Amino acid sequence: MAGETPLAATRTPWERAVGRLKAIVIDTVLLALALAMAEFLALAFSGRRGPTGMLLGAEEILDLLHYGWIASLAFAGAMVWNLFEHFLGSSPGRALAMGPREAEEGLEWHETLRGWFVAVLIELTFFTGWLVTEVDLGSFLTKFSKASGIVRGLVHPSGAVLHQGLVLLVQTIFLAFMATAFAIPVAFCLSFLAARNLTRGSALSRAVYLVTRTGMNFTRAVEPLVWALIFISWVGIGPFAGVLALWVHSVAALTKLYSEQIESIDPGPVDAIKATGARTLQVLRYGVVPQVIPPFLSFTIYRWDINVRMSTIIGFVGGGGIGYILKPRVDLGEWGEVGTLVLLIAVTVWLMDLVSAKIRERIV
Amino acid sequence: MGSGAEAVRIEGLSKVFDERVRALSNIDLVVREGEFLAVLGLSGSGKSTLLRCINRLIDPTGGRIWIDGEEITAAKGAQLRRMRQKIAMIFQQFNLVRRHSVILNVLTGTLGRTGIAGSLLLRFPQEERRRAVAFLERVGLGDHVEARADTLSGGQQQRVAIARALMQRPRLVLADEPVASLDPALRHSVMRHIEALNRDEGLTVLCSLHDIDLVKAYATRVVALRAGRLVWAGLPEELDMDVFHEIYGEDAEMASNASL
Ligand SMILES: Nc1ncnc2c1ncn2[C@@H]1O[C@H](COP(=O)(O)OP(=O)(O)OP(=O)(O)O)[C@@H](O)[C@H]1O
Ligand SMILES: [Mg+2]
Repeated sequence: MAGETPLAATRTPWERAVGRLKAIVIDTVLLALALAMAEFLALAFSGRRGPTGMLLGAEEILDLLHYGWIASLAFAGAMVWNLFEHFLGSSPGRALAMGPREAEEGLEWHETLRGWFVAVLIELTFFTGWLVTEVDLGSFLTKFSKASGIVRGLVHPSGAVLHQGLVLLVQTIFLAFMATAFAIPVAFCLSFLAARNLTRGSALSRAVYLVTRTGMNFTRAVEPLVWALIFISWVGIGPFAGVLALWVHSVAALTKLYSEQIESIDPGPVDAIKATGARTLQVLRYGVVPQVIPPFLSFTIYRWDINVRMSTIIGFVGGGGIGYILKPRVDLGEWGEVGTLVLLIAVTVWLMDLVSAKIRERIV
Repeated sequence: MGSGAEAVRIEGLSKVFDERVRALSNIDLVVREGEFLAVLGLSGSGKSTLLRCINRLIDPTGGRIWIDGEEITAAKGAQLRRMRQKIAMIFQQFNLVRRHSVILNVLTGTLGRTGIAGSLLLRFPQEERRRAVAFLERVGLGDHVEARADTLSGGQQQRVAIARALMQRPRLVLADEPVASLDPALRHSVMRHIEALNRDEGLTVLCSLHDIDLVKAYATRVVALRAGRLVWAGLPEELDMDVFHEIYGEDAEMASNASL
């Protein structure tokens, strides 16, 4: 064992203190989760009834939980666990923050307290989840007939909306196309700023990298549906709002993909071009661009494909395209017409999938 | 031969990577105009780092370097680019733009002096194109002018890189193990072109090599690196077992068996 110093032993006291703190925080969170779920299950199974005499729903039980007590108890528990770690064995928090103790290595999960705790936590999560989402297998298995209208509609599509559907389908495809096309130049420029290997030069360029990356990650985290709602109130209901929503999302997504591609290029040609005395723009044009164009094209076509799918959903909230006429028909239960529209979308998505796969195959 | 003016002067050059890896320690070296200087050393001894510090692909952590009397370690922006034009570099992995044509690769040698707008559109003056074709014919690639660079064999690609270097109108050529990734049979054909740069064009050449045969065949002077230090300097014919021990330490037998 002389040669293999355990990692923990090589840490500085400061790192160990931070690790311990992290362990306590993680343990507190995990214990609080376990306690909350235990109380939830206890409340659900104790058969308490609401004011109307009915069994309580998931929301009402959640309302009754004693979060303050749970939090303090969990904190106390985590402190005890981490203080008496030596006797209680390692805790999940410690394992995540500092790596498991050597003493635990080689033990099966059921031989450690940590293992049991995690096992119980998983069980609790499953049972609580079952109740919280009000899983109702009975309805699922016996009440299919209520939905049979939709299936019948899919099998017997109505011709009434075929013409309008086709027109809007064309709009959907163009909507996705415009969003993608507008996104390409913006994402192309941003991707160079978001590539780590090109932004190591100065403090300024590193700051630009960080700002671009963070901004794009945030933008991407916001769903296109939410962007659609924002742009609908901005430019009004219609396909242009949809274009803008998908554009914003595509810029963020493409910037990420493009910049990752730039980060994985061969640095050799970049060095060679730099060595000729070329300017930065020339180094990018000759050293970087030729290496990234084929993957960029492939990502972009894939994005268009994704945008076609997304634009049907965006139509639901008023962002134009075929989704726009689908929503009222679902609400009215016009299943034949719904069937026609769903089939149109399915065929288009399938075709786009096929075509984009073929094109991408050619490029790479 | 070694009597001309100073082409390169290096004083106290050091490079530490990531504040831990000491790749070069306090190197002093003068290369005279017209020399063909071979740089010997084991893998990891700092040969590439030394060559890349000279054209500032790597920024040294200490020391100064002068090219033709002008300090490149103090140069910035336009001045650095102007100095780099005079220093061509040839790489072990050729480092061509693989998707571009052979001639376009050769023309990149002129990027330091062509207008930026045209070059971003891959446009170059007719005059430069004629020179590029002439250089390609000189390295025996007259039939491959329009071929895509990555369709060529390794030896051909390295000759494209030599034409690209010529295109720069350099005063100094840095070659980093130019034949290490080529078939042994092809090595001399490429080395002869580099020798021609030195002999016919009068260019100063700094070339890292690890094949002693090649050093003896082409170099006019030799320096050796070991763990980032300059441990030996002399003439090719002075290389013998004692010197090998100094350069390669315990691996000396192997190195000499492999190439003597
Ligand atoms: N970019 C880098 N970052 C960190 N360390 C590096 C970097 N480049 C080189 N090194 C280290 O610097 C030392 C010298 O490397 P260098 O590439 O100059 O050696 P070399 O003599 O050219 O070796 P080889 O024959 O393998 O090409 C090595 O220990 C290497 O690991
Ligand atoms: Mg090297």
